[in-house]
Amino acid sequence: MADAAIQGHDHERPGFFTRWFMSTNHKDIGILYLFTAGIVGLVSVIFTVYMRMELMEPGVQYMCAEGARLTAAAVEDCTPDGHLWNVMITGHGVLMMFFVVIPALFGGFGNYFMPLMIGAPDMAFPRLNNLSYWLYVAGTALAFCAVFIDGGAGPGWTFYPPLSWQDAPTSRAVDFAIFAVHVSGASSILGSINMITTFLNMRAPGMTLHKVPLFAWSIFVTAWLLLLSLPVLAGAITMLLTDRNFGTTFFDVAGGGDPVLFQHIFWFFGHPEVYIVILPAFGVISHIVSTFSKKPVFGYLPMVYALVAIGGLGFVVWAHHMYTVGMTLNQQAYFMVATMVIAVPTGIKIFSWIATMWQGSIEFKTPMLFAIGFIFLFTLGGVTGIILSQAAVDRAYHDTYYVVAHFHYVMSLGAVFGIFAGIYYWIGKMSGRQYPEFLGKVHFWMFFIGTNVTFFPQHFLGRQGMPRRYIDYPDAFALWNYVSSIGAFISFASFVLFIGIVFYTIFAGRKVTQNAYWGEHADTLEWTLPNPPPEHTFEELPTREMWDRQPHH
Amino acid sequence: MPVLIDTPNGAPDITGALSRPGPGAPRLRLRLTPHKSLTPEGFVWFIGVTAVMIAVPLFSILGTAVFWVLLPFIIGAIGAIWAALKRSWRDRDIWEELLVWDDLIRLERHEPNRPIRDWEANPYWVRVALHPRGGPVPQYLTLQGGPREVELGAFLTPPERVSLKDTLERALRAQPS
Repeated sequence: MADAAIQGHDHERPGFFTRWFMSTNHKDIGILYLFTAGIVGLVSVIFTVYMRMELMEPGVQYMCAEGARLTAAAVEDCTPDGHLWNVMITGHGVLMMFFVVIPALFGGFGNYFMPLMIGAPDMAFPRLNNLSYWLYVAGTALAFCAVFIDGGAGPGWTFYPPLSWQDAPTSRAVDFAIFAVHVSGASSILGSINMITTFLNMRAPGMTLHKVPLFAWSIFVTAWLLLLSLPVLAGAITMLLTDRNFGTTFFDVAGGGDPVLFQHIFWFFGHPEVYIVILPAFGVISHIVSTFSKKPVFGYLPMVYALVAIGGLGFVVWAHHMYTVGMTLNQQAYFMVATMVIAVPTGIKIFSWIATMWQGSIEFKTPMLFAIGFIFLFTLGGVTGIILSQAAVDRAYHDTYYVVAHFHYVMSLGAVFGIFAGIYYWIGKMSGRQYPEFLGKVHFWMFFIGTNVTFFPQHFLGRQGMPRRYIDYPDAFALWNYVSSIGAFISFASFVLFIGIVFYTIFAGRKVTQNAYWGEHADTLEWTLPNPPPEHTFEELPTREMWDRQPHH
Repeated sequence: MPVLIDTPNGAPDITGALSRPGPGAPRLRLRLTPHKSLTPEGFVWFIGVTAVMIAVPLFSILGTAVFWVLLPFIIGAIGAIWAALKRSWRDRDIWEELLVWDDLIRLERHEPNRPIRDWEANPYWVRVALHPRGGPVPQYLTLQGGPREVELGAFLTPPERVSLKDTLERALRAQPS
């Protein structure tokens, strides 16, 4: 029998090392994920600034075979180093897809807020959670190795064979990139198993699946997608590794293999991956729009089923990334129609957000600006997606800058606006201090203008026929490349401002004492806790009155 | 339902170790369990849908060597989530059973991988104490008057513990029949 323990429950506060390096607390691990993703994001953004510097003018001025430079070189001093360019795009793609956006939205916000929203005291497996985080850090280290050792890995983040057999006898760089993805995949699978178990088995009493807050739902669907797609990726790149190193020929035509098979299984993972990136942002945006419109979310159940439908449909459309590999007409017709069907659940979400704002008393605080920016830009990126989904039109657009513009609108401008919106929304809850509102708005406008100036002209470049993944281009494309580079510099300046805002907030921001500082429409369970929440929360299960404020929805 | 109450009116059929020869059926029998939100049907649905969805890419590689390399990864993923959900159930497989007779009150705590812990006392001397604050959880419920003070239903919600106290006190105050 458990003896009564009325006193003596206070334990010592852990030291710095114990708290941050051996943490099993979901809130601390969430913060670690957010900061690590921020640092990796900064590195990855610096890569893009360097690439945009190179693309600003026709000709090659910076990435020279004589050595990479920070000042422009004259034409006669510089032999173009195309491999350095490939390393940059690979580094940017791998880091952004696997080590920045998923860890920030799923690892960071998911860890911190999903257990709070469902009233769970912690994750189901806290030590596994710690393992997930450190595997992520280890994977990041391997990814940096892939950029810097043996000349760097340059097959692109998709690792298509035969490109990924680059220098197989002499260079270990691609092997490091593959290991980086393996380790980050292991981290994400463990994380998703943890999230799924927590979500399914640790909801507060009475919180049925039709009453769970939308953010928690979006994290659950994301975790499910990760669980379903990552094992496939792990298998694919394992075969790539044995092809490179042990003489197997899974994807080598010379030995009876088929490189297109790799593309099929890669995109079976890769298409759900883009929903993995964006779905948690959908969840964040739903809460923000409702809070600042001072209305409950319009159409809660359609919102939930739209999330599930987007996740489910994401698994049956993968070949729209590879219309040009030579599929039958029927296959192309199927993948085209299936892809277009995704617009229906996405449309349900977008119209529900608009209906939430409709006749609401809208307050344009920074998180709301980012949320509205997200809705606008994601819709724009979605519409270009519908254009690209047509197999016939894709013949012209495949591997042009139009595709680059499309996926940066949905991911760079969609997911990243979601991350910033979430940080401004919750930073007071996580740190106990509020960000400076004016600087937040400056950040929003700089970032909104900067990213649009960067990516909108890339639609024009794509329509003019500029192919992606090249270090240089003819003079005809000079104007819009110049404009795009200016936009990239504005965006980078706004990112530097954002880093300043975060550190100012943490060390000198105004203290927030009110639990629900965004008002009564921020009504999920995390808003019943003080800022920042204590180390242990909801050890006693929350009761229904605490979370069910709108029994009619 | 985390609190199950049995009173002798319905003549509950007490089985095995829980019955005690002699004074007959207990006056009150309580079974307390922590809340688990995943139902067995939910488990079947989740694993079933997962298995179907994850098998989709296998169709595009049927008959190739790639199929056989991919298969273990897919089986491994399903095995891992299966084991995790089962483990999560087992972690919460705790229950406390309280039996009240006229001359004996008995409490048993069952936990996975631990021997059963029990506590017995004379109901005449037992007091039910509720500590609104100061305990590990709000409305902490303990039983005093036995060999040592023990906790009761620490894994329930606070309102459940308050109503549990009323139920128990009513049973303890009742006249021996």
